[in-house]
Amino acid sequence: MDTLYLVKLGEIILKLGNRKEFEDRLKADLKRRLGGALKRLELSHGRIALEVELERAAFVEAALARTPGINGFARAIRTEKQPEAVLAAALDIARAEVAQGKRAFKAESRRADKSFPLDSYGLSSEIGHLVLENCPGTRVDLHAPQFTIHAEIRDKAYVYASPIQGIRGLPTGSQGRGLLLLSGGIDSPVAGYLMARRGLALDAVYFHAYPYTSAEAQEKVIALARVLAGYTGGLSLYTIPFTATQMRIKQKAREESTTLMMRAAMMELAERLAFKIGANSLVTGESLGQVASQTAENLRFTNSRVKLPVFRPLVGLDKEETIELARKIGSYNISVLPYEDCCVLFSPKHPILRADMTRESGAYEELELGPLLDEALKGAERKAIPFSVPGF
Amino acid sequence: MIYLDWASTSPPDRAILLEAAELAAACYGNPSSTHRLGTEARAKLEEARSRLALCLHATKEAARGCIVFTSGGSEANAIALLATLRKRSHARAAPLHIVASAIEHAAIHEQLRLLAGLGVETSFVRPGANGLVTPEAVAAAIRKETALVTVMAVNNETGAIQPLGDIVRAVACAARELGRATPPRVHADAVQAFGKIPFDPLKLGLSSAAFSAHKLRGPRGTGAMWLAATLEPFVVGGGQEGGIRPGTENLAGAWAFSNVAEQAVTSLASELQHARELEARLIAGMEAIPGAIVLPFGRKAGDTRYSPYILSASFPGLAGEVLARALSDEGIAVSTGSACASNAHAKERRVLAAMGVPPELSFGAIRISTGTLTLPADVDRFLETAARVYTRLKP
Repeated sequence: MDTLYLVKLGEIILKLGNRKEFEDRLKADLKRRLGGALKRLELSHGRIALEVELERAAFVEAALARTPGINGFARAIRTEKQPEAVLAAALDIARAEVAQGKRAFKAESRRADKSFPLDSYGLSSEIGHLVLENCPGTRVDLHAPQFTIHAEIRDKAYVYASPIQGIRGLPTGSQGRGLLLLSGGIDSPVAGYLMARRGLALDAVYFHAYPYTSAEAQEKVIALARVLAGYTGGLSLYTIPFTATQMRIKQKAREESTTLMMRAAMMELAERLAFKIGANSLVTGESLGQVASQTAENLRFTNSRVKLPVFRPLVGLDKEETIELARKIGSYNISVLPYEDCCVLFSPKHPILRADMTRESGAYEELELGPLLDEALKGAERKAIPFSVPGF
Repeated sequence: MIYLDWASTSPPDRAILLEAAELAAACYGNPSSTHRLGTEARAKLEEARSRLALCLHATKEAARGCIVFTSGGSEANAIALLATLRKRSHARAAPLHIVASAIEHAAIHEQLRLLAGLGVETSFVRPGANGLVTPEAVAAAIRKETALVTVMAVNNETGAIQPLGDIVRAVACAARELGRATPPRVHADAVQAFGKIPFDPLKLGLSSAAFSAHKLRGPRGTGAMWLAATLEPFVVGGGQEGGIRPGTENLAGAWAFSNVAEQAVTSLASELQHARELEARLIAGMEAIPGAIVLPFGRKAGDTRYSPYILSASFPGLAGEVLARALSDEGIAVSTGSACASNAHAKERRVLAAMGVPPELSFGAIRISTGTLTLPADVDRFLETAARVYTRLKP
């Protein structure tokens, strides 16, 4: 048995010249994510109708709720464009909602096909009357309904209630590919999620300083990448061995600038990897002033090591807001596991707050990291994290 | 793998494990059942109990008190701590106070923190820099309403052997001075002592003590509690183990425990000598590694105030966790402090901090613990590898 979902597109519908390109991307993305659960996909007038296997409805809902480019979706009944059929469907839908204990409702109709005999207002009031007559205890409440019956008359008629919110944004890959600097912390997965929503296909890079950072820390990053993969539709996680670079920095850099130098080296490595894998941008979880390495002056310095645009979607958020997002996307509980990603051994007690560009650039050159970075990049390991949603 | 983490757990004795498994399959009756299978199982269980009791005391006549089998050391400790709550139900408003050393294992420390949240007052007695809790310090913490004193026999991180006999006497003395008719009970977590060093709870004057089988090459999930006199348990059920530890008895575990205990106690003197030799080798070797420091400061080989089976050492500048990981890659197993705490979120090293070890040193601390299968060559390999890894990784 199959069931039907009506999917409402996001910003795509605002696009003019290249709207079709966005739509095609979303269609292809949905096919890839839903795999065998998807039986049929039709797009018309800013709506996608999906026929999916009934037994896999829960998976489909979890997947749709994580797919960028979707404003919302609902399980719907599709009927012929005849008032009787539409009304019968509306009553079925209403009964299901009433069975869950809901009573106050309203009806909302949209008539894209003007040949349908009832106008929007007429259809809504017909639905309202029918439900009131047939479902004892129900009442109409236009301001605070417990459920809303939607009827849309398009190529066919679609009736649904209780739409589920999507994450909006733009289809995966419509903005090219970005490379996320992923640590085990709270911020970077959220940054990845926010940029995935903006249409970036994402890969991630993690800097591993074994034995200073543990295998558990690496497992934690893999677990975070799995969470992200639900939003990005799968990703490649690159692990770059960073121990030799870190040791050189610790040995040769001034103590107060070790973190800064480390960040600069990570940016440089990330960019070189980005060029290799065809990414057009870097993504970090930095937030202005959150820690010493994230002041404007220090960001300017670490940024000066790269030419690609660096997206920092958390730059204006505070920690509370980031944590809220982390909980929402399901990364928070993993991020707060105790395994450290950056050994305390390497963090200076009093780090530089405002880097002097000339001085620190000179200091960075003097570290002669070149050959070490070449080695590190050569040692990068790729792990494919396929698309999946938790619980399926 | 060179295994130097015996204080966490020990490699099980295969023959004893297999014998216990056979017994579990053959003698499956419930010891509380009245049919023949039940009475057979009961007989075996009681045999295990009296054999274990004999391991605690020099002579049969002295084997007084009672042995209660538990699911492990943690449960035995919890029974002793939770029993204090029974006093509450009798007199609701009466204040309740427990004295503990500040260096107890998490099984006691965390349980006490929980009890503190329930309104039980707790005093933690800090040890000296040498890791030893003094009888005077414990006595000073005793109050009129102190229901229990709990001090571990051997500290699981430093090996410090606490002066339990003196502590018991000091507690009794303090209680008398406060005009109390009876002194508070004194419990000892003896998980790192029993079968390793001479330990007789009766002679020490303890009220109760907790033991674990897997530290002595026995199976996990089996422990025991020695009680001078019965107590009112907080967890009740089917009345097994004198009502003190409800739940159908783990005959196979009890049997295996009594076997490993007999083995350990029989060879205790020679094993202790073996451990002393390894300790001397370890401490001498550690002193030869530039920068490495034996903890507590000034612990010398052969010092009878420390269990020779356990040694802490710090490698300043390198996190103990990192060193342990690097050693593991080289085929050597050691741990950072207590294995039970190294999983937890706690970054600070509670035991070392209580002794006043500065954070730079406790941060770089690892624990090396030996056992009957440890060879001098294992210690040498460890020392040579630790020195090499430390030089390589210390930034």
